[in-house]
Amino acid sequence: MSRVVVIGAGLAGLVAANRLASAGVGVTLLTKGIGGLQLSQGTIDVLGYAPDRVTNPVLTLSAIASARPGHPYAAIGAAGVHTGIEYLKQLLPDLLVGDAEANYQLPTAVGAIRPTCLVQPSMVAGHLKDGAKVAVVGLRRLKDFHPALVAENLARTTLPDGGRLVARPVSVDVPARDAEVDSSGLTYARAFDDPAFRARFAAALKPLLGDGETVGLPAVLGLKDRTAWSDLADKLGHPVFEIPLPPPSVPGMRLNEALMASAKAAGVRVVNGTRAVSVRVEDGVVKGVTVATAGADREFTADAFVLAAGGFESGALALDSYGTVTETLFGLPLAGLDAGPLVHGDYWGPEQPLFSVGVRVAGDMRVLDGNGAVVHPNLYAAGGIIGGSSRWAEKSGDGIAVGSAVVAADSILEVLA
Amino acid sequence: MSHEGLEFAGHELARASLDACVKCTICETMCPVSAVTPLFSGPKFVGPQAERFRNGDSVDHSLDYCSSCGTCTLVCPQGVQIAELNSQARAVMKADHMPLRDKLIGQTVLMGKVMTPVAPIAKAALNNKPIRAMMEAVVKVHRDAPMPPPQGQTFEGWFRKRPKPSRTPTRGALVFFHGCAGGYFEVETSKKSVEVLEHLGYEVIVPKQGCCGLAQQSNGLFDQATASVLKLCDDLRAAGTDLTIISSSGSCTGMLKHEAHEIMGVTDDKLKDVGTRIRDIMEFLLDLHEAGELPTDFAPIDMTVPYHAPCQLKSQGMGMPAVEVLKLIPDLTVVESGAVCCGIAGTYGLKKEKYDIAQAVGRPLFEMVKKTNPDLALCDTETCRWQIEQSSGVKTEHPIFLVHRAYGLS
Amino acid sequence: MRKLAVDVVVIGGGSTGAGVVRDVAMRGYSTVLVERADLGQGTTGRFHGLLHSGGRYVVSDPLSATECAQENAILTRIQSQAIETTGGYFVTGPDDDPAFADKFLEGAKATGVPAREISVAEALRNEPRLNRRILRAIEVEDGTVDGWQLVWGAANSAKAYGAQVLTYHRVTKIDTADGQVTAVHCTDLKSGEDVLIECGFVLNCAGPWAGQIAAMAGAHPVDVIPGRGIMIAMNHRLVNRVVNRCIYPADGDILVPVHTVSIIGTTDVKVDDPDDLAIEHAEVQQMLDAGEVLIPGFRSSRALHAWAGARPLIKDSRVSSSDTRHMSRGMAVIDHTTRDGLDGMLTIGGGKLTTYRLMAEHIVDAMCEKLGEKRPCRTADEAIPGSESGKNYVVTHRLEEREHDRLDDQIICECELMSRRMFTDALASQPKGTFDDLRRQLRLGMGPCQGGFCSMRATGIALESGHIDIERATGLLRLFLKNRWIGLWPILYGDQVRQTALDNWIFQGTLDVEHLPQPESEVAL
Repeated sequence: MSRVVVIGAGLAGLVAANRLASAGVGVTLLTKGIGGLQLSQGTIDVLGYAPDRVTNPVLTLSAIASARPGHPYAAIGAAGVHTGIEYLKQLLPDLLVGDAEANYQLPTAVGAIRPTCLVQPSMVAGHLKDGAKVAVVGLRRLKDFHPALVAENLARTTLPDGGRLVARPVSVDVPARDAEVDSSGLTYARAFDDPAFRARFAAALKPLLGDGETVGLPAVLGLKDRTAWSDLADKLGHPVFEIPLPPPSVPGMRLNEALMASAKAAGVRVVNGTRAVSVRVEDGVVKGVTVATAGADREFTADAFVLAAGGFESGALALDSYGTVTETLFGLPLAGLDAGPLVHGDYWGPEQPLFSVGVRVAGDMRVLDGNGAVVHPNLYAAGGIIGGSSRWAEKSGDGIAVGSAVVAADSILEVLA
Repeated sequence: MSHEGLEFAGHELARASLDACVKCTICETMCPVSAVTPLFSGPKFVGPQAERFRNGDSVDHSLDYCSSCGTCTLVCPQGVQIAELNSQARAVMKADHMPLRDKLIGQTVLMGKVMTPVAPIAKAALNNKPIRAMMEAVVKVHRDAPMPPPQGQTFEGWFRKRPKPSRTPTRGALVFFHGCAGGYFEVETSKKSVEVLEHLGYEVIVPKQGCCGLAQQSNGLFDQATASVLKLCDDLRAAGTDLTIISSSGSCTGMLKHEAHEIMGVTDDKLKDVGTRIRDIMEFLLDLHEAGELPTDFAPIDMTVPYHAPCQLKSQGMGMPAVEVLKLIPDLTVVESGAVCCGIAGTYGLKKEKYDIAQAVGRPLFEMVKKTNPDLALCDTETCRWQIEQSSGVKTEHPIFLVHRAYGLS
Repeated sequence: MRKLAVDVVVIGGGSTGAGVVRDVAMRGYSTVLVERADLGQGTTGRFHGLLHSGGRYVVSDPLSATECAQENAILTRIQSQAIETTGGYFVTGPDDDPAFADKFLEGAKATGVPAREISVAEALRNEPRLNRRILRAIEVEDGTVDGWQLVWGAANSAKAYGAQVLTYHRVTKIDTADGQVTAVHCTDLKSGEDVLIECGFVLNCAGPWAGQIAAMAGAHPVDVIPGRGIMIAMNHRLVNRVVNRCIYPADGDILVPVHTVSIIGTTDVKVDDPDDLAIEHAEVQQMLDAGEVLIPGFRSSRALHAWAGARPLIKDSRVSSSDTRHMSRGMAVIDHTTRDGLDGMLTIGGGKLTTYRLMAEHIVDAMCEKLGEKRPCRTADEAIPGSESGKNYVVTHRLEEREHDRLDDQIICECELMSRRMFTDALASQPKGTFDDLRRQLRLGMGPCQGGFCSMRATGIALESGHIDIERATGLLRLFLKNRWIGLWPILYGDQVRQTALDNWIFQGTLDVEHLPQPESEVAL
């Protein structure tokens, strides 16, 4: 029998479910579909901009926590984030490297240099130094990566540590499968799982590389085979790094599949295809969540509930045509609605306030109302549903997700014990 | 399907959901068919994307490569009914030119009825290469495609003729829905399900029942399918309108629970009634367990067995109840396949031009099954069992077999 | 300075100007069209896409009704590729006066507009989303038209007859001598170069900006009353026929299926400046309420994009200047000879897209008369390039094309099924174009994701084409995202918020696009 129901299978939901289940608690994970990880860049951000570029995320987030009491990091705290990051590294030892005290600065698929905290080993060589020589390699049949765009923007960029690099575009045409010119990143990743394809690809690329060049490639270097990238580097005789693409994100899929597998191995009951539609609350205590499934609706009861359903991107928060914002499952009180217009017309101007709307949480991740009182004694929030930050602009979403998930899980474990 | 009915279904159901699509590609990443062939342009393309371009004549015939496994709808985090959109578009496409083959394999009851009295001959015919080759030429069913194993006795025949159960029911009555396959081909599964239910103390009522129409639906024959499913609702309701209905046929259960409504737009109240009362047998057992009402005096089964959750079952949004129930059997290790689909997708993998795709889809599963236990695999739906058994050579049974055994009933 | 000499300068690259330049060229004059932006970027590209059957005017403006009916038939034939023959309904809403339908049918008969009352049941069967409480329904021959294709088609036809088309050329001055127009000065906005065009005649087709142009030639003020209307594109076709309210013309009374979307329109607010195209919150709400009357649940359908256009109405003393709706939609040709003592210039105002060809015929007839020449109009007789087959557009068109080429080509804009080849071909013909210029021809970025997935691809391909450098490529990306947002934020609610969140996640979250090297000045055109 499950004692905890986790709603949502993004980074926050998966981390919370893992942590609870591995502590021996029965967990049911309810999810409408596949969570957001495979829409992400597949690294773990903690804090990238505040608003200047951040080099030590944990240090800077402590400053934010004290300066901005409405920011999620004020509730989660540096210690919570630290615990979360360490826990995640422990869950995914082969997939994530780095630590909470330093950011990597990695090229993006438009050629910007993006700060992020934990990265996949296949990306590490993308942290470039003054004087680096980079060949950015595109695949002609992959439309989501244009090597000239990346290389020429990198080449006109001053590196965060100062200095410049030399970058040039290279294109190769190695089909992922015959009779197809429009292959997705995932199709390529599946091809790169095959050593024979890697050999073909290396043979085509190697003659095009110059001495001392580091090779930047779209992040499609294998899905199941975690050594695909290093094998390719060996075959090329050059260091290689992966550059994340817009969805479908292969690095995100790797994280998602690994976290889902560890959750199931820890005994989490995963119920996919279930949209949570209503809740039953008695005397302020959440008793059950009802999901719409085929046939009859079904209620899942538990002692504690973790709402990790995301923000506007998943529909956990919604804005209707009259301008009303709601949290769509519990109807929770929301913070960030009183700061004037929620949207403005200046695309490159200040952050749109709408996307900072969300619930406010206490230090144990229980949801608070406008007066700072706990709304339901057994309802916890984790991840994007928590308001107070512009997570995509700050590059803080993963740190908030992981930090709030472990703090919520640990708070629940304490109560259940 | 009449165009009126289709349009209603399109407007009221799936088409309304296409507004939810944010093009995130999650459906594409999980599609088992587009993973193995570029001939299928993928669920996002043929679903919410192409749907905005559809009006009148069908122009995108490649959508027929969709196997209707339903994985896209299941994994979509935004609630787009992608598979349903595709099924409707296919029905429009086929409204004009339905291959004879799609009509034939849609007629499961007929096929079962014809085969049962002459099972040995039917079996011989189906296993006979020249006859299969002729079938391939005439009706375009692939010569190696898995076909239902005909039985010497129907389930109904067994149920009527068997000695009365010795135990007096202590828990009230249930209605048992066996489905065509469970009635004519997978008779053992139905028998064991009934015996487990009776062992638990239920009185099991088996009303006379027809086909749910799923095979017709998945081949775009919506009119016939609608008539079938409504007739079945009448059949099942004849046994009582307040009893829980149990089925060990996962795909037929899915048809009753949601597909008839969500794909074909059937809104009849009797479908709604049946759809809300029906439970998959493993789901039912898990519900009992969660309520603390399932005896767990299981005998140990010292075995590691691969389990594949069929698409049709996953799409019902109940997780994998078989895994949870089988966990209760001492010494039994159940290894979930992790595979998206076995490839058969009802009748898709039978068809000549789809056979190779279906085999490619299922290959990782067949390998996993062989590696995990060369003697036994578990799976909840009939056609998937036939596919796994035929393609991996590993005997494949419904999970109820192990429950039956662990209760000491076999 | 670049110098040109032509018989006729046509000012304005909307439907009127394009129609006029085609007509002028087909009558054998040398001519050049000057447009300050891209073709169809003003009023023509900012309407709801309705090709009138005439039904809208059978009661309020019978002359317009007849003209519309006739022109509808002509355009459907000569510009078949730009037009979809959807048909249309006029429906009486639950609270509308059912007697208006009788007047409507009478008017239709009198004006020669084909119309037939059908049963409510039939209307609902054909358009199942329609309000089930409608009282009456009349079927008409409304169609829908892609304004950009219409304009580009006319311009291409004109070019085939020797005309020149100068887009992104702003008129700065009009020379006159002895009461006669002699030359038009303009600036090539992309290169900064000045261009002098000596001419014998100027046709002022600048629509809402016609007053500004007339003033440059020293004419007495021409009062143009720009009536601003907003339109909202909904994610998919809520209807497959044009649906009009069967009432006296009012705001928000029409839903038009164009390409993959359906467009609700429109409001009418008097503004002083035709470049004031704000999309006011109250007008959006008004449109949504109007949509709800036609299609219950309209508010919960997904809105993709909103825009505003300025009607080019010339002041008519018969009605109050604050009520532009009831001003005659008929065209007005202003003869500057009699009015201002200025020869060699005519100004045209008013009118509507459906009758653009007829307007051109009238103004060019007037010019010929002034020039004392008899050159008959032939524009109704000849199909424009690309429409020779007479086959009309159908919404399945691109789906069918991709069905044939999807294994040989990439799909760059997935929402609107734009292939890589379509994009590179358009780019080659407009190498200096912005992504919005290309968008108007290709529908790039006009679907549900509003550029979320395609704009980075377009940027990369444009850069690889060699036509532009990295600074311009990055600048074009910034410009495209900014311009998409202009039409997004006013209707940001419901499902589009989820899309916008994902788009932000991609651009800010994954690509960190805001931390690319900052431009010294933003790319604007």
